[in-house]
Amino acid sequence: MDQVLHVVFSATFIAAVLRVTTPIVLPALGGLISELGGVGNIALEGIMLVAACTGVLISVYTKSEWLGLVAGVLMAILFALLLAFFHLELRADLILSAIALNILASGGTIFVVFLLTKDKSGTSTLISKQMPFIQIPVVKDIPVIGEIVSGQNLLTYVALLATAAVAIFLYRTRPGVHLRAVGENPEAARSVGINVRFNQYLALGLSGLLAGLGGIYLSMGYVKFFARDMTAGRGFIALAAIYLGGKTPLGTLIAALVFGAADALSVQLGNLRIPSQFVQMIPYVATLISLVVYALIQRQRVLQRQRRFRQAQTV
Amino acid sequence: MAATLTPTNPSQSFDRQAEQARVRSERRRTAVIDLAVTLGTVVLSLALAFLVLLILGKDPVKAFTALLTGPLSRINRTGRWIEDATTLIIIGLSVTIAFRARQFSLGALGQMYVGATVAAILMIYVPMPPVIAIAVPIVAAMAAGFLIGLLPGLMKSYLGANEIVSTLMLNEIIVRFYDYLMTNVFTPKGAQALRSELVQPNSMLARLGDLFKANLGRSNIGIVFALVLVVVVWVLLARTPFGYEVRTIGANERFARYGGINTKRTIALAFALGGAVASVAGVHLLAGVHQRLIPGIAAGLGFEGIVVALLARNNPLLVPITGLFYSYLRVGGEIMEQEASVGIEIVQVIQAVIILLLTAQVLVDWVKTRNRRLADRG
Repeated sequence: MDQVLHVVFSATFIAAVLRVTTPIVLPALGGLISELGGVGNIALEGIMLVAACTGVLISVYTKSEWLGLVAGVLMAILFALLLAFFHLELRADLILSAIALNILASGGTIFVVFLLTKDKSGTSTLISKQMPFIQIPVVKDIPVIGEIVSGQNLLTYVALLATAAVAIFLYRTRPGVHLRAVGENPEAARSVGINVRFNQYLALGLSGLLAGLGGIYLSMGYVKFFARDMTAGRGFIALAAIYLGGKTPLGTLIAALVFGAADALSVQLGNLRIPSQFVQMIPYVATLISLVVYALIQRQRVLQRQRRFRQAQTV
Repeated sequence: MAATLTPTNPSQSFDRQAEQARVRSERRRTAVIDLAVTLGTVVLSLALAFLVLLILGKDPVKAFTALLTGPLSRINRTGRWIEDATTLIIIGLSVTIAFRARQFSLGALGQMYVGATVAAILMIYVPMPPVIAIAVPIVAAMAAGFLIGLLPGLMKSYLGANEIVSTLMLNEIIVRFYDYLMTNVFTPKGAQALRSELVQPNSMLARLGDLFKANLGRSNIGIVFALVLVVVVWVLLARTPFGYEVRTIGANERFARYGGINTKRTIALAFALGGAVASVAGVHLLAGVHQRLIPGIAAGLGFEGIVVALLARNNPLLVPITGLFYSYLRVGGEIMEQEASVGIEIVQVIQAVIILLLTAQVLVDWVKTRNRRLADRG
């Protein structure tokens, strides 16, 4: 136990938490926007895979990480808009078509990688680029804090900034409020002249953008290659982070940090004499418990509201 | 005007027989349209895959010959097809139960592992007389599958917890727990490979090859169990009060609640029964296919049940046909990979396109209205 505490309170551990939280918080923020827009996106996992694969391949052939980033994110947005098209135009079930796109991403990426490299496990034989790691001047020389705050991947900072940006967008701008209005009650939104369909497209498109950044981080930051199904369920853990975070940007970030900490801990605990499988379960068990906790809190809120309503009536 | 006053008008005198005939012909026409839509979807997605291969400069004819004739090209491949179809039919049925209540359980994967594990404990370590050595483990596995399916069911119906996230998380947990049991419990000490001992001979499902004196690979009498399950699930959904409740909830949950159905209990039960059915697929993999536990015994079967159920339009009686069809594609894909060096992942792509097209309501409606217009004209 002493060993565990020692690990948890070290600067390297907290830096590691930020590293593993990045690919959870980015898709989670995307999922949050689509959830609040009333079109919950279950295809985050597939979108991340597509972005991760495209980014790596384009960076290999253009020798530019920036072109890889742009191409990956564009593909992610296209993929999300494909989901929107099937749901909104062809009236396909949102959940089922999202599941289909996840399967398409899992199979399609490996199909393409196999065509190009004759290797089904991933692109480790190709030389791909990585997004830059940023040393913040002055800050990097501060003991402890410098080790945590400085030297992270560009996209880790993007993830933190995105949390603030999404919060401002959703609560402080007109399009954000419109988007939430559509999610809350499409009929009411339509009655005051808000373009419902446009906002649903927007919500899914933005979720594609953010999930795409998460995917790019996985293959061009966290590691430097694309591997089969490398998202490993992060797109779904991201969904859980939205619920645990009470469907707010800050809450989502905190929930993602909790999952990140569980994940980082599982890596650190690997050195101890606990079977690795149990340690690997931690994020998933945490997700499951968080689902129940969130549901219980929600129910409590509803009951409270009912009680208040009844009291108001009797008075 | 005169015609409306004649007594033969159905609105005036209700002709029971004519009405029944009308309903029956209408139902027949719907079934034909459903079948046409499904077939059209399949052909379209295969054509799309063909086009992709053509564009990529592969030899699509060679690839498709392997894909579409492969499973019948050798008798052992046919055996592989039957073996795979058995599993797919069972998990397809499992998904059908939840789908009928408009619930998306993705828990079949974990439930298969649970079923295989529970059955393995009995089948490997407990000697039992014939028949009982198969029946008891199946019942135990179904009970375990029932409980593991009930968990996300209760979470969904009583707490409103997202069933997709909960079933997927449960799968991840179960897969890791299974992995732990595999390395630390089931594999004998000092064994070379990571695998359990064989199940007791009395617990093995008889191989079809032994019965028919042909090299039918690992296919076994599990296929008979699967077909029995088809009938059981059909009776359950079409001929019992529970089935009526499930279908009513699927059609309109609010109406079902208003009509006095305990929707929460029924939904939870639908999840649990789906789990019980899926666990039988685990028993089939254990006692029929591998005859022992191996790592990742149900790997790659996570979403296959959904395709089978969707293709069957949630009709349990159609599940054997769609299960056979889809496993034909899967096995054909394996052969295509060997013979034409086209990745089996193209089958996943075909699978995704099939789901997308089948759920695209507009396309289905378009076919229906077109058909009606043609019928009216003709």
